[in-house]
Amino acid sequence: MNAPATSLMPIFAAPFGVVPITAAAELNPDLAVLFAARAMTHYREPAAPPDPLCFRSREDLLEWPEPAVSQLGRAIMAGVSEVVIAANQYSAAERETLGVQARVRFVIVRPDGHLSGATAPMASWCAVYCVAAPAPTPARMDSAVLRLYAVRHPSMFLDASNYRMRIPFSADHHVWRPVPGQMAVFPASIPHEVALNRTHVDLILVIARLRFADQGVAGAVPPW
Amino acid sequence: MNPAIRVSSVFAVPFGEGRLSGCARLNRELEALFLARETAEYRNPAPTHLPQQEMFESRFNLFLWPEPCVQELRVFMLNCVAQTVLQVSDLDPAEAAGLRLQNHTWFHITRYAGSFVAHNHPLASWSAVYCVRAGERPADHPGSGVLRFVDPRQGAGAYLDLANRRLRPGFALKPREVLLEEGQVIVFPSFVFHEVAPFYGRDTRITVASNCWFG
Repeated sequence: MNAPATSLMPIFAAPFGVVPITAAAELNPDLAVLFAARAMTHYREPAAPPDPLCFRSREDLLEWPEPAVSQLGRAIMAGVSEVVIAANQYSAAERETLGVQARVRFVIVRPDGHLSGATAPMASWCAVYCVAAPAPTPARMDSAVLRLYAVRHPSMFLDASNYRMRIPFSADHHVWRPVPGQMAVFPASIPHEVALNRTHVDLILVIARLRFADQGVAGAVPPW
Repeated sequence: MNPAIRVSSVFAVPFGEGRLSGCARLNRELEALFLARETAEYRNPAPTHLPQQEMFESRFNLFLWPEPCVQELRVFMLNCVAQTVLQVSDLDPAEAAGLRLQNHTWFHITRYAGSFVAHNHPLASWSAVYCVRAGERPADHPGSGVLRFVDPRQGAGAYLDLANRRLRPGFALKPREVLLEEGQVIVFPSFVFHEVAPFYGRDTRITVASNCWFG
């Protein structure tokens, strides 16, 4: 008699999506020039301390009139919506009722700069879109990567049987290397950082906090 | 009439902090010793995280070194850990005296742009960090070399309004950050994730870290 087949599956999983933005090749050059020109005090996030090696803009990109920014904003919301639908149980009819709200900023991580670990409050999803990135350097594989902390279910007991578990069971942090034209999407409650940029080239990102609500229900989400 | 409310901490994270008074002489001796031994012979041969050329990590046997300065630091740090355990547990001093405290202890020398990724320490109950040398603090990098503890209350800070954005220390829904000063020691549960933010001083930042377990 054959032994019964063992079933193995991840539980308590965290969704992580990577979305290619189709118009990236046309958008990114314009965005890079625009962001470089606006990496100045007037556009800087006033609540964050100034950092000469990492510029964070206000979260108002969706209010900018420039066509490239508007187009990217629509692409980000559409891409995140795809991930949300894939991770949820909404029917086609229900998904039509969902409205999306977003706060979006650009970030320039300069050589030797980094973005400290944090979560994205008052949102359910976070998206990180890459406008421009330094080439990977084999000697410094963690340079300028997006790192999601694996702090949700840590075990303080380790032995030979759980020390080297494979993805998706591993307790290691999740690392995503920004690639121009691609966007990472993940739950906003996961602490994340951009590791120190050890190259001589700027990393340019667009980072969004997003949340969804039934468009027919007034006051369905609280203020930002 | 307003009801009398008594507020207390639950699910709290114990966080010990101490100072070694008159630490200048000891720290000078430790610094000289560590810089002299910043070599391949003393480097941790099996680092758990991606090594960086900007940060030297020693082997984990530091407190077995016989040098008087190391032994002086061992007594101070392990005493701080033991005192913390006594303060936060219901062990009585006689029970505590019967425990065997074991440790892994090492030093870090961090130079410009060195950092250490967020991590915790499985198979230990208490961890401690002592500051030998704080290093330069550039005015334009106030977070340089900060020791940052990740809030273990995952998701608690996802919803913020005016009534929980400005909670007092201990209740605040944000990471706890410590800019270590020379002679300062921090003791904390080993399960708490912590990291060292990139150091932007042009000199060195030197710390000693210890993981402890009792049997």
